[in-house]
Amino acid sequence: MATTYDIATQQAEPGQDGPVPVIAVENLDKSFAGHKVLNGISLRVNQGETLAVLGRSGTGKSVLLRLIIGLDTPDSGSVCIHGQYIAGLALDRMGEIRKKMGFLFQQAALYDSLTVRENVAFPLEHHRRDMSKSERSERVRQLLVEVGMDGDLEKMPSDISGGMQKRVGLARALALEPEILLLDEPTAGLDPISSGEIDELILKLQRERQMASIVVTHDLHSAKTIAGRLALLNEGDVVIEGTFEDLQQSNIGFVKEFLQQS
Amino acid sequence: MAGAAIGVIISLEARYSLTRFGAKSMFPATLVYSVVQVMGPVITGLVVSGRVGAGMGAELASMKVTEQIDAIEASAINPYRLLAATRILACILMLPLLTLATDACALLTGWFAQALVEPLSFHQFISSGFNGATFNAFLPQTFKTAVYGLIIGLIACFQGMRTRGGAAGVGRAATNSVVLASLFLILADVVLVKFILVFFT
Repeated sequence: MATTYDIATQQAEPGQDGPVPVIAVENLDKSFAGHKVLNGISLRVNQGETLAVLGRSGTGKSVLLRLIIGLDTPDSGSVCIHGQYIAGLALDRMGEIRKKMGFLFQQAALYDSLTVRENVAFPLEHHRRDMSKSERSERVRQLLVEVGMDGDLEKMPSDISGGMQKRVGLARALALEPEILLLDEPTAGLDPISSGEIDELILKLQRERQMASIVVTHDLHSAKTIAGRLALLNEGDVVIEGTFEDLQQSNIGFVKEFLQQS
Repeated sequence: MAGAAIGVIISLEARYSLTRFGAKSMFPATLVYSVVQVMGPVITGLVVSGRVGAGMGAELASMKVTEQIDAIEASAINPYRLLAATRILACILMLPLLTLATDACALLTGWFAQALVEPLSFHQFISSGFNGATFNAFLPQTFKTAVYGLIIGLIACFQGMRTRGGAAGVGRAATNSVVLASLFLILADVVLVKFILVFFT
C-alpha cells in the first residue's frame, strides 16, 4: 500500500512502502489561459535522491518546480513537502518550509543591485541573525569557494558571465543548508565545458549533502550525469519515469524520438 | 527647480492681476498663500510622481520580469514587506519635506522676481505675506502631501510588482505608475482640500 494522507491534520503518514517521501506531488493540474501545461502529474522524491524532469521546451517543467516551492498554485492536486501539504498554508508556515528548500532559477535571478557576496549573504542576513557578522561572512566565503567563485566577491551580476551567475545562484540556494534542492535548467545557455563543470558541481554537492533534488532540464547528457531517476514529460503527462536504462529500453515512440534527438 | 519656476510664474501673473484691480499691496500674501496652500504641494506631488513613481515602477517591474521578486519569495522573505513597504514609507515621509523645500524655493524666486521690478526687502515680503497667518493656514496643506506619498508609493509598487511581459511590461509599468499616480493625486487633492477646509479653517 502506498503512502496515505490524513486530510484532517494535513500530514502524510508512512505506508507499507516505506517512509514519507521528502517531495510528493499527486495529480497536479495546471493551466494557463486555457492551455493545460500539467495534466495530473504525480512524482515522489526521497532523501538523497535526484530526479531529473526532462521534456521539450514549454512542457511545464519549470511550472512544476514553481508549484513545488509555492510560487504558483495548482488548479488541482497536491504538493506535499516532508509530509506537509503546502496548499493554503499561512505565509509564515510556508516560509518555514521554504527555508529548507534551495531554488536555482533558470536565469539565476541574482539581485542586480547587490554584489556577488551580498547576493549569497542575503538569505543569511534575513534568517540567520543568530550568526555573527563574521560568521556569516565566513559562511558566504565558504559557499563561494565551493562553487568556484571566491575571487569575484565584489563584482556585480552584470559583470560576470551566465555560467558564473549560475554558480552564484547555486551558492545562494545552498546558503541556508537546505534539505531540498530545486534546479531549473542549471546548464541552459552554457557551453559544453561550463555545463560539464556545473554538472560535476551538482554531483559533488549531492554526494556531500544528500539532499532530495529535482533538476528540470532538456539536456539528456546532464540528466544522465546528475540524476538517478528520470521523468520524461510530454504535453503535461509523465510519459515514463525510471532510470536512463529504463528509458533506453522503452518502446514508447516519444521516448525513442527524444533519446534519438538528444 | 520646479518650485523656483512656480515662484516666478506666480509672481509675474499675480503682479499683473493685482495691479489691474488696484491690490498691489496684497502681492506678498497672494504669493505666499498660492504657493504654500496650492501650488507647492501639487507641483511637488506631480514632479515626484513622475521622477520617483516612474523610477520605482520601472525598478520593481525589472525585478519582476527577471524573477528577482520570485527569488526573494523563494528565500522565505516577504517581498511586499521588503520592497513595497519600505518604498511607500519613504514616499510618505519625504513628500512633506520636499514640499517645504519647493515652497521655500518658490517664495524666494517669487520675491526676487518682484524685487527686480519694485524694490521690496525680503523681510518686508515675509512679514507681509505671513501677516495674520496661523499654523492651520499652512501646516495641513503641507502635511497632506504625506497622502500624496502614499498614493505614489502604492501605485508605483503595485504596477511594478504585478508586471508581466518583459521589457514592454517594464515600460508599461513605468508609464502607468506616472499617469495613475498623477491622476489619483489630483483627485485625492479634491477630497483633501475639502477635508482641510472643514476641519482646519
